[in-house]
Amino acid sequence: MTRRVRIGILAALAIAGTVFLLYGVFSGQGASVLMKATRICLECIGIG
Amino acid sequence: MAKAKRVKGEWKRLSVQAAAFLLQNPMLHRFFLGSIETGKTKSVCMPGLNCYSCPAAVGACPIGSLQATLSGGYKKPAFPFYVLGFLLLFGLTLGRWICGWLCPFGWVQDLVYRIPFFKKIRTFPYEKYLRWLKYAVLGVLVIGLPLYSALKGVLTPYFCKLLCPSGTLFGGIPLALTQYGQAVGFFFWWKIGVLLALLLLALLISRPFCRYLCPLGAIYGMFNRISLTHLEFASETCVHCGKCDTVCPMGIDPTKQFNSAECIRCGRCSRACPTDSLAVRFGLHDR
Repeated sequence: MTRRVRIGILAALAIAGTVFLLYGVFSGQGASVLMKATRICLECIGIG
Repeated sequence: MAKAKRVKGEWKRLSVQAAAFLLQNPMLHRFFLGSIETGKTKSVCMPGLNCYSCPAAVGACPIGSLQATLSGGYKKPAFPFYVLGFLLLFGLTLGRWICGWLCPFGWVQDLVYRIPFFKKIRTFPYEKYLRWLKYAVLGVLVIGLPLYSALKGVLTPYFCKLLCPSGTLFGGIPLALTQYGQAVGFFFWWKIGVLLALLLLALLISRPFCRYLCPLGAIYGMFNRISLTHLEFASETCVHCGKCDTVCPMGIDPTKQFNSAECIRCGRCSRACPTDSLAVRFGLHDR
């Protein structure tokens, strides 16, 4: 893989990652993750 | 008794791993209270496999969050834009360096492997096939079954429920010892068995969970060829002494597989190299 191709892939994926993250925040997925992460997930720890 | 191969400067990496654990899990007093942190920082995914039901955690586990979003969480099933955004940005910048330096369960395995035991094993038979298991875990337990359960109207994070040893060690055991002891059932003991099996294996072979089962390692490994954090190899100065090969915790030959998805960028090979032909670098250097 040439340096130019690698930079192109990196840039495209970095833009995609940023757009995904922002879309996730504004579509409420961040809040959904927060809700899940602030309650003890009994299944996650093998208790439930 | 055989000791794990020692490399100079290894204490630095172990110190960074300990600091990373404390940064991701600073609320240590909560281990004694049996409750978990509920601050807003828990909407942010941590880079490593750090259970969000660990009482001290101040961030979210990316694999737990991925399953929760796919299976609906508290809303309807959705394409996990938010978690994928984190995974893409972590993967592109750091790749599997996260496994080598920031992951709490990777740190635990490194500590266990340092305990002298009768014989250390470098690789298992059929090693290359066993390494594919982590992609099966990703496809089946993290993506497939949670999606299937969502279609049936049940929200089940199968990877967390059946396999995740990090959740058992940092979340399940502390919570069972404090508040939830009376609630433990079959799956708790199943996961204790998985954890013990992995820790026993880690006495013999370096990082068995990372090599064979970790879905987060499978994801970050896909970025190793393009990630900004990478391993550089200067073939013209290599004297083919094989020292890098013998100290690699992932059982790969760094001179031949420096772009491998298995390399966790721990830097043991570069510290063992007598001619400085290997180096972990950050940036857009040629490879």
